[in-house]
Amino acid sequence: MSIDTGAIDALVGDGPAAWDTTGLIPVDVLRKLGGMGVLCAEVPARFGGPGADVFASGELTAHVGALCSSLRSIMTVQGIAAATVLRFGDREQRRDYLGQLTSGRLACVAFSEPGAGSDLAGIATRIRPADDGTGDALVSGEKMWITGAVYADVIVVYGLFGDGPSGAAAVVPTDAPGVRIEQVKDPLGCRAATHSRVVLDDVRVPARAVLGGGGQPLPLLFTTALSYGRMSVAWGCAGILRGCLAAATADARTREQGGSPIAEHQLVARHLAELYTSERIATQVCRHAAEQWERGAADAPVAAVLAKQVAATHATRGAATAVQVLASRGFTDGHVVARAYRDAKAMELIEGSTEISQLILARHVLDTV
Amino acid sequence: MTAAQGGTGSDSLEKELTAFLTERTGTEPSAEQDLFSTGVISSMFALQLVVHLEDEYDIEIVGPELSMDNFRSVRAMSALVQRLQGAEDGSRAG
Repeated sequence: MSIDTGAIDALVGDGPAAWDTTGLIPVDVLRKLGGMGVLCAEVPARFGGPGADVFASGELTAHVGALCSSLRSIMTVQGIAAATVLRFGDREQRRDYLGQLTSGRLACVAFSEPGAGSDLAGIATRIRPADDGTGDALVSGEKMWITGAVYADVIVVYGLFGDGPSGAAAVVPTDAPGVRIEQVKDPLGCRAATHSRVVLDDVRVPARAVLGGGGQPLPLLFTTALSYGRMSVAWGCAGILRGCLAAATADARTREQGGSPIAEHQLVARHLAELYTSERIATQVCRHAAEQWERGAADAPVAAVLAKQVAATHATRGAATAVQVLASRGFTDGHVVARAYRDAKAMELIEGSTEISQLILARHVLDTV
Repeated sequence: MTAAQGGTGSDSLEKELTAFLTERTGTEPSAEQDLFSTGVISSMFALQLVVHLEDEYDIEIVGPELSMDNFRSVRAMSALVQRLQGAEDGSRAG
């Protein structure tokens, strides 16, 4: 099964501008894309997914990223949920949950907490056996900045297993008693992706909602999930740059100042050259990371950090350049370059901020060079 | 299976794993050392290790096999690899 980007374009249409200003994507659009397998394209065909390899999945993510970073963010979290189930779920959990995630059900993922962004030692959420003979598990904690929770049917919650130190991931229905979702209003970027505070107050789930029975190394749970997220964000940033490059080039080619298209003005031409350079760099660093995953290289998780770091910083710079070229013509909320300008900044903050990414890269250098 | 045969296989496996950990983390763990409590396995390295084991020994480590107990020490990982290799040989034969 291959993904038809024409069908995606038809569904998305000129929606992203309005989604940005209203802060909401129509949920039926998300469910349709989910049912097409677009939101988690790497799910193998035997589980009902498109079975895209990392390159095809990456290009698909960039394609959607060029249209709308909010929609691409929903892809990212659904993809992280699917990657977590694929890696940590047992046979039955994989069949059940991956089937759901490729047939229109929507997922989000909950890592960050008030006391723990990138610092796993601060994790306070607990997934523990109910100890009342039911075999159920209880999930409690507070999660912050949860992308897409307002659309989601299920939340994949990451936390300590019992009192730790091992971890667990549990699939929690958003309508389960004890789940509270509070949307954060007026975010700077990725407005229609939405983000929320999620409070879990002794939420009871059946034992089979705990992936693989729990008890995995906490760093392994987080890095597996975040690595998928970093690849997805990196490709999304390549998409942001493609959207900006297309908009800036079209504008510079047609808009005239001083009797010639502005592209003929050397300082504007340099902006186009820099945008093109950024888009190429972002794409190549994503491809490099995809190659490392494809061949099972041990440094693949670091390559994902590198890709995210490089692509996000270039997207931030490139989006500012595109706004500079379009000037007043792109200076309205909803415009592709205005969205890119705000959305790209968010990409420097999530799945490991630029600074955290640099610390990881420096650690890698110190350990291996 | 004699003790000598079993011992030879796990000895060489433990040596390989120790060499990999030493090369990648800069510290040489003993076979029984708890790699998590002594901080040998960092956040990034945990996944690198799984990817390495899968690639190097042609096994798939998923689901309940990812329990922390299977990665706690060089000895535990060696036992995991041997068990999964045995399982895959068995499934091929069957």
